[in-house]
Amino acid sequence: MAKTRYGFLIDLRRCIGCRTCQVACKAENDVPLGVYRTWVKEVEKGVYPKVRRHFVPILCNQCEKPACTRVCPVRATYSLPNGIVYIDPHRCIGCRYCMAACPYSVRFIHPERKVAQKCDWCWPRVRDGFGPPACVASCPTRAMVFGDLTDPESEISRILARVPTAVLKPETGNGPMVFYIGLDDEAARLVEAGGEE
Amino acid sequence: MDMSLLYTIPHAVPPREAFGLAIAIYFYLTGLSAGSFIISTLAYGFGMEKYKPLGKVGVVLATLLLIAAPMFLLLHSGRPLRAWHLFVYLNGTSPISWGSFLLTLYPINCIIYGFFMFRGNAKLTKIFGLIGIPLAIMVHGYTGFILSFAKAHALWRTSMMPILFLTSAMVSGVAMMILVTIIKDRFFGKERKVNTEVVFGLGKMLLWLLVFDLFLSFSDLSVHYFGEAESMEAARLLLTGTFAPTFIGVETLMGKVVPLVLVANTRTRNVMVYGFAAVLVMVGIFAMRCNVVLGGEFIPLL
Repeated sequence: MAKTRYGFLIDLRRCIGCRTCQVACKAENDVPLGVYRTWVKEVEKGVYPKVRRHFVPILCNQCEKPACTRVCPVRATYSLPNGIVYIDPHRCIGCRYCMAACPYSVRFIHPERKVAQKCDWCWPRVRDGFGPPACVASCPTRAMVFGDLTDPESEISRILARVPTAVLKPETGNGPMVFYIGLDDEAARLVEAGGEE
Repeated sequence: MDMSLLYTIPHAVPPREAFGLAIAIYFYLTGLSAGSFIISTLAYGFGMEKYKPLGKVGVVLATLLLIAAPMFLLLHSGRPLRAWHLFVYLNGTSPISWGSFLLTLYPINCIIYGFFMFRGNAKLTKIFGLIGIPLAIMVHGYTGFILSFAKAHALWRTSMMPILFLTSAMVSGVAMMILVTIIKDRFFGKERKVNTEVVFGLGKMLLWLLVFDLFLSFSDLSVHYFGEAESMEAARLLLTGTFAPTFIGVETLMGKVVPLVLVANTRTRNVMVYGFAAVLVMVGIFAMRCNVVLGGEFIPLL
């Protein structure tokens, strides 16, 4: 069997900021109150009356060279052969070092289980053949595409081959695997000095 | 599910503090421990007879502080009962994994070193003292690597972190030993008279360590200030932002510049002034740990 490498593509021109992905993720993965595996970042551009909101759904980038797995002292988080960065909840000691290392802030401590958690592109769901990740399946504008990057005939490979895309924070060298079409430079960076507003 | 809760999320990353105050305290305690251990070996490892009165109290403090410090790690970790995983599942690229061995070996070595010191076995004391020095350097140096390897935060991902932490460890350790000498001699000594030779000797050491610490702090911050976007943001946070009062005020002015002037001025050379300077330094280094740990992760990443 050929090696699989999953990838994720978000067409931001289609994103309407409805947060269905966020809700679907909560339901699918039983994410407790107050924490999110994925969320939609909003940036306002322009001056009234000429304004426009940009939405950027943020989820785990399942990096090629993840900073989080490198620093985990107990190897509780690791890359699966298909590229997905997975967490063994029974091994994690909740030291939060992975949270400190992740440039995308996608990791959090589960309020009840007290272990690190994050988006895993719904790996258990995908593995068991229930279709694509919950966010992809629920997106009303079909802005999200999930698929195998090693298969040149997959939808994601075909789009990546002909449409210019960008990733968040490529300078970290982590090799993020969530590709965005129409990513706004301002939305890709932190909002403002000191994180205000 | 309550939809209002779901919809009132911030439009940026939800605040996620990874390390926080417990880790800052942990860094502070290991720094004090490493500093006092090295002072303790001045007499028993390097034969500087002047500091002999600090040998025993130094090793006792080093051991006690290094037993207290990991308690903050357990307090901070979500699943403290799984701490044994650290010794079973190792990761060579994780400084925390190195630390689990350093934090075990160092106190054991401290206890052996102290045991021979109290038994009066000079030769074995010296051997274990000299073994302890690299251990003391590593047990505090590795905490610098913890922050350096957490590459998400601009303030942390510099190679300055280990040396900056080691220097501030020595600064706070020497300051603590000045205080310990004064308290020990004044309240528990036979003649109730402070050993000025030791206090002034340590003061001189403190002076040069403070100069070096200020230099490192300046190098680190100036490079951040003229560095890439996130580094500039981090430098501004410390110089003019939320952390300016604790960084400029408490850490740099109160904790380094004022004690430096007090210790350097030969006209005010007196035990109480040195004691006061030592208190300021200890508060300043605590502020430094908080500024680095809390300030480093203060700026949201996305």
